[in-house]
Amino acid sequence: MIKTWQRSLVAVCAFLALFGGVAYAQTSDMPPVDFSYTGNRTAVWIVAQLHTLFGAFVLGAPIFIVISEWLGYRKQDLRYDRLAKEVTKVTVILFSMTALTGGLFIFVLLAAYPQFTTWFINQFYLVFAVFYPFLFISGAIVLYMYFYMWDAWKGEKKGRHIALGVLLNLIGMTLLFVIDGPTSFMNTPVKAEGLSPQDLLATATLWDKIANQTWMPLNLHRIDGNVAFGGFVTGLIGAYMYMGAKSQEERAYYDWMGFSGNLIAVGATLFQPFTGLLLAYEMCDYDFSFCPYMMGDQLSMFFEMQGAMIGLMFLAINYYVWLSLKRIEGVEKVRITILAPVVMVAFPFVMMVVMNYYWIPDPMSLAFLLPLALSPFLGRFIPFTVSARTVIKIGFLMVLVGDAIWLTPHGFAATGAKMAAEVELPEAWNFLGTMPAKLSAMFTLVFVTVVNYFLYNRAIKRGTILWGKIDFTSQFVLIFLAFVSIWTMGLMGAVRSLVRKYFHTYNLIPDFSAESFTPTLSYSAWWITGITVMFFTVVSFAVIVSLRPSESKGHIPEGSPVPARAK
Amino acid sequence: MGNIIKKLVIGLVVGGALFLLSRWQEFPFVFQVVFFGHAMFGAAVFMLLDAPSVRTMGAVKSTIAIVVFYVVLCTVFVAGASMWPQFDPEDEKGKIAKLLAPKRAATEQGKAEELIARTKALDEQVKALEVRLRTLGADQSVVKQMPVGDAPPVVAKAPTGDFMKIGEEQWQLHECYNCHKLKGEGGKKRGPELDNIGSYLTAAEIKQKIFNPKSYMAEGFEKEWEKGKMPDKFKDVMEDSDAMALATWLSTFKNTSVNTPKPIKKL
Repeated sequence: MIKTWQRSLVAVCAFLALFGGVAYAQTSDMPPVDFSYTGNRTAVWIVAQLHTLFGAFVLGAPIFIVISEWLGYRKQDLRYDRLAKEVTKVTVILFSMTALTGGLFIFVLLAAYPQFTTWFINQFYLVFAVFYPFLFISGAIVLYMYFYMWDAWKGEKKGRHIALGVLLNLIGMTLLFVIDGPTSFMNTPVKAEGLSPQDLLATATLWDKIANQTWMPLNLHRIDGNVAFGGFVTGLIGAYMYMGAKSQEERAYYDWMGFSGNLIAVGATLFQPFTGLLLAYEMCDYDFSFCPYMMGDQLSMFFEMQGAMIGLMFLAINYYVWLSLKRIEGVEKVRITILAPVVMVAFPFVMMVVMNYYWIPDPMSLAFLLPLALSPFLGRFIPFTVSARTVIKIGFLMVLVGDAIWLTPHGFAATGAKMAAEVELPEAWNFLGTMPAKLSAMFTLVFVTVVNYFLYNRAIKRGTILWGKIDFTSQFVLIFLAFVSIWTMGLMGAVRSLVRKYFHTYNLIPDFSAESFTPTLSYSAWWITGITVMFFTVVSFAVIVSLRPSESKGHIPEGSPVPARAK
Repeated sequence: MGNIIKKLVIGLVVGGALFLLSRWQEFPFVFQVVFFGHAMFGAAVFMLLDAPSVRTMGAVKSTIAIVVFYVVLCTVFVAGASMWPQFDPEDEKGKIAKLLAPKRAATEQGKAEELIARTKALDEQVKALEVRLRTLGADQSVVKQMPVGDAPPVVAKAPTGDFMKIGEEQWQLHECYNCHKLKGEGGKKRGPELDNIGSYLTAAEIKQKIFNPKSYMAEGFEKEWEKGKMPDKFKDVMEDSDAMALATWLSTFKNTSVNTPKPIKKL
């Protein structure tokens, strides 16, 4: 039953998006529809964000699905194959939701802003009428083939199946690159010295419009983000299934699944602050007025909230490592060089000073950064060691310090215009609100997390993992991580859109509607939370529908369950 | 319990020390409270680290726990976001309306709206004339009264005072204060302080700099000039007269006690 409605849904939505969009593009004189209660902008926001979330998962998950399948094939470990297949089942359902919200998105956009949408479709006619639908439909076909050929193409034909997965990823990646063109164009349309934006646009080719200044940074940020997001949602699936598992063997498997998903997510998350910074850097380079608007003015408190979210995320990531270590027999014997905790403590302060003089990628900044980052390896020549437990606790202390630095603003005012002495940092401590301070905090969070995973790796080599015996709290940590990552995506997505200020396309097409102002953080938080809850509800439903029935029917799960004491 | 009390005491001691230290360093009160909050949050984290393990729950209990957990998360996130200082959109709405007015007027819709407005005004004038005609002869005093809905006043060329006001308004509308300090306000050292700019540049030259940021470079701002920090969008987003008003207003600032960097002609 699911197969039929999923296929129908994808086909209907894709064709609706394709023909509906093109047909409506001819009717630019249509008056906009007024969405009651939410308003037009928020209506577009809701469907756009939902579409982005589902899209992020269906583009990100296949990356590690294929890696997992390949690992399973190479290591002959059926757990990887089972993980890959179970996540694919959920992906298939969420692909339908991506199509559904995508179709809905284009219609809400056309209804709410007919003139702008018409203009926009005309600017990217080939993208919206040909490339995007073609890639989307191709992706759907390959995804379904990949899923339904799983059992047929095994054994000697496994390589063929993995190749199909690689093809799926190539299509997904191309799709992302294509759609990022119009998305980034809205923020940073092509410009040149001495020419007005309108004049330049008249002569710009489609490629000029796509390859705008923030296109590649947005691609990088989204690829990395999608992998992290896919990993966190896999962790969430693992947590749900662990909680519902009826046997110790099932718990052992889903404990492993949650850990693996989270590990991939963490690996990708470590790069997120840096790709995000690159995107922000390119935006500021395009038009410097973006910078104060984001960091010092109307959106400054959005970035405070982002700091809080990332702080919580890194605390949760490291707390999960802590809980995972507790279920390893023999962890008490694991030690690490004393240099690691010493560098951890010194890291934020040294980097804050260094980056005030040498900005990354100045070679001098790297001359300081690299020895610090490599200290856990260089420290093997020093005879003094510290226990893993102590190092992790020091790590937590430094994550808290890093969070505190990240969260310290120039002042507690919503805009630069309202900054007053009674809410502003004293002159002597002003450096705490500068970018070098924020970067040093960022590096500290990443460094501590890497050291903790380094310790974990050492622990599993010397001890035995008791899969399925993890503290039950850890499953809530996995759920928490998925929730925070989705919430942060929503927040930063809102920032990226709001940076256009009162333009649909910056400096080109003004937004004359009454809603073209910066909303409050509180108002935004309500909607971001609502969207996150909607997404979670659908994902939970997809997990129940796709993974639970297999047990009730007495289905033999793919991959042999892992013995509780296996590594 | 011993663990909790121990961590709580440490949290209070560290928080208290941070509070006093920041007070001594003349941090505003809000920072003192936030630093104390960080210490207490840290104590909570360390309590969690040493908390006893939670036993595996059954499916039903887990489901209830998950729902409760989501409710708590939603509440905390919305409440947390609402606790930060909130930007008031009303501060911006008026500005945006003024900034977009010329653009709106240039659109087909804007032209149509203007035509409708003119038609309405003419209609009102006709009605007023009808009233006057009807009352003519009946009551001569009516003629002496101010006519209802008289023709809209002819907009005279803005006097100097108004022109300056427009210039100051442009400064606010385009948020120049985000980068430039003037009269001791704004700045953050992103761009040069402008209190003495009138001693160096004429209004026409300032306008040239606004429309073409590469035309002049402020001494000591070589990096910013090379990177093109000053946006080159103003020629596209500002009306010529508005830019002139802003330039004229800025050219009146000749406070020699302020160290405005010398502009160097580049183009």
